[in-house]
Amino acid sequence: MKQLAQRLLGPVTLVSMALTVWLGLVVTPPDKVQGDLARLVYVHPAVAWVALYLSFGTATIASVLYLWPRTRSVVADRVAHSAMEVSLVFIALTLITGSIWGRPTWGVWWAWDARLTSTAILGLLAVGYLALRRANDDPTLRAKRSAVFAVLSAINVPIIHFSVLWWKTLHQGATVFTANRSLLIHGIMAWTLLLSFVAFSLAYAWLVRARYRLEVARERLDNEAITEAIAARVLEGRS
Amino acid sequence: MVITEPADLSPVAPPPSRSRGRRRSIVVLVVLAGAILALLSQGLLHNLNYFKTVDEVLASREAIGAGVIRLEGVVAPHSIQRTATGTDFVVTGSAGSIPVAATGTPPQLFQANIPVVVVGHFASAGSKTFLGSSIMVKHTAAYIAQHPNRVKAPNGTVR
Repeated sequence: MKQLAQRLLGPVTLVSMALTVWLGLVVTPPDKVQGDLARLVYVHPAVAWVALYLSFGTATIASVLYLWPRTRSVVADRVAHSAMEVSLVFIALTLITGSIWGRPTWGVWWAWDARLTSTAILGLLAVGYLALRRANDDPTLRAKRSAVFAVLSAINVPIIHFSVLWWKTLHQGATVFTANRSLLIHGIMAWTLLLSFVAFSLAYAWLVRARYRLEVARERLDNEAITEAIAARVLEGRS
Repeated sequence: MVITEPADLSPVAPPPSRSRGRRRSIVVLVVLAGAILALLSQGLLHNLNYFKTVDEVLASREAIGAGVIRLEGVVAPHSIQRTATGTDFVVTGSAGSIPVAATGTPPQLFQANIPVVVVGHFASAGSKTFLGSSIMVKHTAAYIAQHPNRVKAPNGTVR
């Protein structure tokens, strides 16, 4: 069952992505104000959801699990690392798609408002996390330090989420995660938006799984290299 | 193999990986803190709020004088006039309105009844007219079909 789910992850992701593209570009109507530009709503929010909540959240939870002595494991460290790397990619995509959307609608590529600036800072924090991992050679020390860093960085996520409520921003308010359930987004547009969230979440799971497996393979290669080096030294000593 | 002198058995200093790791970690954190502070100074420390609404500006009109601000308001209907150098229009809040003379080309979504943020300053400390150097459209989070009542005829044409 688990194996089947893992094998189906890739194809299901691709099918839901293709469905999102078809619904988003062909089936859904243009928006009253934004026209065809509104179609970016089927990309940008879902990408941001993966970047901020899904992947940064996974990295944070895995880091907490690593720091908690009873749940400490190398698996948690690897998951945190993989999720954070995927998070960085999606934060970059969030900023890029947002910028592409901002130019024609707002009139500017970038605005130093609270939402955009705090998201850029989260991207920097993700870069910092990965740099911190490279700065430490000792695996235990690396895992601990990066886990602490990830948990501290996660403070920024609620700041980004509430930035549009706490401060006046050029960025629009919450569309999806809002208490205001009055019809802000119409029928098929809402369903396509929902599907885009599913599709990008699946893509996220697929990417993290691949990255995790890569890390396991890399560690095994490292260990084999060490074993080989020791064996070579032993042979040297004998001759 | 003949050993001519006794091997050096004194303890060897451990490899400096731990302290080197610490030094590198500190460098990473310092660079990061610097970058974040730079971003913050660009974006947030100036003012956590990106703009001032028409009502706020009218309430603190004297303090603002002719300083550069970002002004937010809704474009009043029938107020948009193209000029030789740009666009004239009126932005309204709930308590009043401010006439704007903006230069340059407005964004493509610029239209009546849409909220905008205008960067600029008042013509003088006592002037009522706001001189805008750039207009940003602050669209809402509503997504409503352009022609919800339009139906497709059986032959595929849209009515």
